[in-house]
Amino acid sequence: MTVTAAAPARVAGSPPPGEPRRDPRRTLRWLLPMGPALVLLAVFLAGPILWTFYIAFTNETLTGSASVNSRFVGLDNFTRMFADDDFVNSFVLTFLFVIGSAVIGQNILGLLIALLQRGRGRVTRAVVNGVVIAAWVVPEVVAAACWYSFLAEEGTLNRVLGISQEWLFTAPMVAVILANVWRGTAFSMLVYSAALSDVPGELLEAASVDGAGLWARLRHVTLPLIRRSIMSNLMLITLQTLASFGLIYALTGGGPGTASQTTPLYMYEQAFRYFEIGYGSAMALVMLVIGALFSLFYLRLIKVEDR
Amino acid sequence: MRRAMVSSMVALAVAATLSACGDGAAEPGEGQAGRKEIEVLYKVEPTWPYLEKSLRAAKAQYEAAHKDVTIKLTPVQGNSEVYYTKLALLNRSAESAPDVYYHDTFQVNADVAAGKLAPLDDYLSKWPDWTSQFPDSVKQAAKAGDGKIYGVPISTDTRGLWYHKDVFAKAGLPVPWEPETWADVLTAARTIKQKVPDAIPFSMYSTKVHGEAATMQGFEMLLYGAPGGTLYDEAQKKWVTAGKAFTDSLAFINTIYREELGPRQADAQNPKLAGLATDEWFPAGKLGISLDGAWTSASWKETDPTPWPQWTEKIGWTPMPTQNGQEPGAVSMSGGWVMAMSSYAPNKQEAFDFITVATNKENSMAYSVGTGDLAVRKDVAADPKYSAGNPAVKFWTDLASVTHYRPAFEEYPKVSAEVQEAMEAMTSGSRTPEEAAKRYAEALPGVVGGADKIVTAP
Repeated sequence: MTVTAAAPARVAGSPPPGEPRRDPRRTLRWLLPMGPALVLLAVFLAGPILWTFYIAFTNETLTGSASVNSRFVGLDNFTRMFADDDFVNSFVLTFLFVIGSAVIGQNILGLLIALLQRGRGRVTRAVVNGVVIAAWVVPEVVAAACWYSFLAEEGTLNRVLGISQEWLFTAPMVAVILANVWRGTAFSMLVYSAALSDVPGELLEAASVDGAGLWARLRHVTLPLIRRSIMSNLMLITLQTLASFGLIYALTGGGPGTASQTTPLYMYEQAFRYFEIGYGSAMALVMLVIGALFSLFYLRLIKVEDR
Repeated sequence: MRRAMVSSMVALAVAATLSACGDGAAEPGEGQAGRKEIEVLYKVEPTWPYLEKSLRAAKAQYEAAHKDVTIKLTPVQGNSEVYYTKLALLNRSAESAPDVYYHDTFQVNADVAAGKLAPLDDYLSKWPDWTSQFPDSVKQAAKAGDGKIYGVPISTDTRGLWYHKDVFAKAGLPVPWEPETWADVLTAARTIKQKVPDAIPFSMYSTKVHGEAATMQGFEMLLYGAPGGTLYDEAQKKWVTAGKAFTDSLAFINTIYREELGPRQADAQNPKLAGLATDEWFPAGKLGISLDGAWTSASWKETDPTPWPQWTEKIGWTPMPTQNGQEPGAVSMSGGWVMAMSSYAPNKQEAFDFITVATNKENSMAYSVGTGDLAVRKDVAADPKYSAGNPAVKFWTDLASVTHYRPAFEEYPKVSAEVQEAMEAMTSGSRTPEEAAKRYAEALPGVVGGADKIVTAP
């Protein structure tokens, strides 16, 4: 659990510091087996990212005259974006969606399930894990179909409650957040189960002997010991949720109106329904920056904690 | 070490969000064993198998006559919006572009501007049917700004009002119903709301989820029936900003929803509204009036998954009146689809030959009878089989005398999107008609390429 802040010891045979030149044969020795992988990464990962970066500054469209002679338009796409009510709306919804379904929903529910499973019998654990993970492994569209039939006007929920209510119409954001929590909790649960198994039992016992209650043990023993896992888990689920598309698209299509149109959905609409591929790419870039900021924030938190 | 793991996981997560997909495409124009291959793209839905049926027949006929050519039929599953997207993406490169495709006329100009479509004039001049069977008005369907023709029409359509005679009788309204103004339509809807509380008085498409159907079946049926109402000034070659006709059309929609004369909000936003209206509400007597297209009755045919043979007695049809009953008294919009040829097609003569087979009498007939779209060929229209079992077909065909066409220029799809935005605000009540019209006027320069391409409406 400790991170050494000291510089790693020098490997025997490596050039002493202050000598910039390296043996070219050594470079070749690792480049040769790594080469194909690097080329593949450059072509299939860096390529599209750089292309997206480029067309975000053009007026490129999928069809029409701008698709054959697109122009460089500088920051036009970005100024348009921040003046676009629909984009601002999508941005707020994305934020709600990430906070609601990832940071609060999946994260806390996952931790809770993992905590409750400590010290339970093997059968209980297997059953609970099976159920939670089953929700995670079904394809997004299937999950959306399940939730649609649950929330629809003649769906299970209304049958059980005995009322007639169009949930997907009246509370679309709540619906997609719940569906995403239901679907994604398994990941957090697995991360926390693994982290909790590293918390020594005797520490918790010692704390109880000292008279610490359940909450105090969690607050002062368990959470500090698994904080790194909390941060990495938060980072991963934030990034996943930020880019979540299929579930919302299949469940509400971003509607009614723009009531559940998060930025990925708005991006899709602009790029692939109205063929504004340049404008869509500019939004993708903004999303990339937001994701990076979130990651930096979490990484920084980890660092601060380690001091 | 941990840090490295975390950052590699971040990289993985980012990579996972940026996945791309593509179709593996063979060499264009080459099928198995050196045979020429023509790829045909079209759309299919579970409730709409008609085009696929007629194209399969065309494939069999064509391959029997051309032993060295294979027709590869590539369906796109889904509604029109999905189809436009898929087609635009496939058309990004010559490798993946289909040779022949089913194409909505309002997308033609944009694709011509992008250089995706091949002009057909040279081929058409050698095809006798083009001169003998296609009326001049129909030939214009896929004529681009350069005066060339880029598609052979496979269907056309008109729009108007369908109404349920029993609901009208219960409401004490006259049958046959012949509204002369918008006010007459609203009065009828209000009467139905009052007298037949369990029926939806008036249904129309008015939200973004219905895409072009909202613009065309909904808004333009109003706008083009209002004095001076148009989206585009043909004389000045400029787009028309929102004026009185525009605001009045929005006000009509606003009245429908504020007075609760339309479907419930959730249904107005339901992608399946068309199916609800034709397959559930009308047969159950739960809908009074529907502003929709000529094809509506096709879903009541006996060959359809949801037949309703009584429709011929229960349902009436009447033209959508102009706003104040001014000349010509009625309004309709026409669009339609064409079979078009890609500019990337390596075997253009063979591709065009397939288009002629797909739009021959037999296959056009099968398509029109199935979909309920109006026939474009004279020989199909004259055939008794075409109008058999559809007493409304003459009415819808005759609406051609008062019909309008969309200004299907390259910018049109974006203008249409702005119109849908305004309609949606009417549906939900988030803006007044004036506010929505003002917003349209502000957005228009941005979508048509500058304020100099705009003229102020009266």
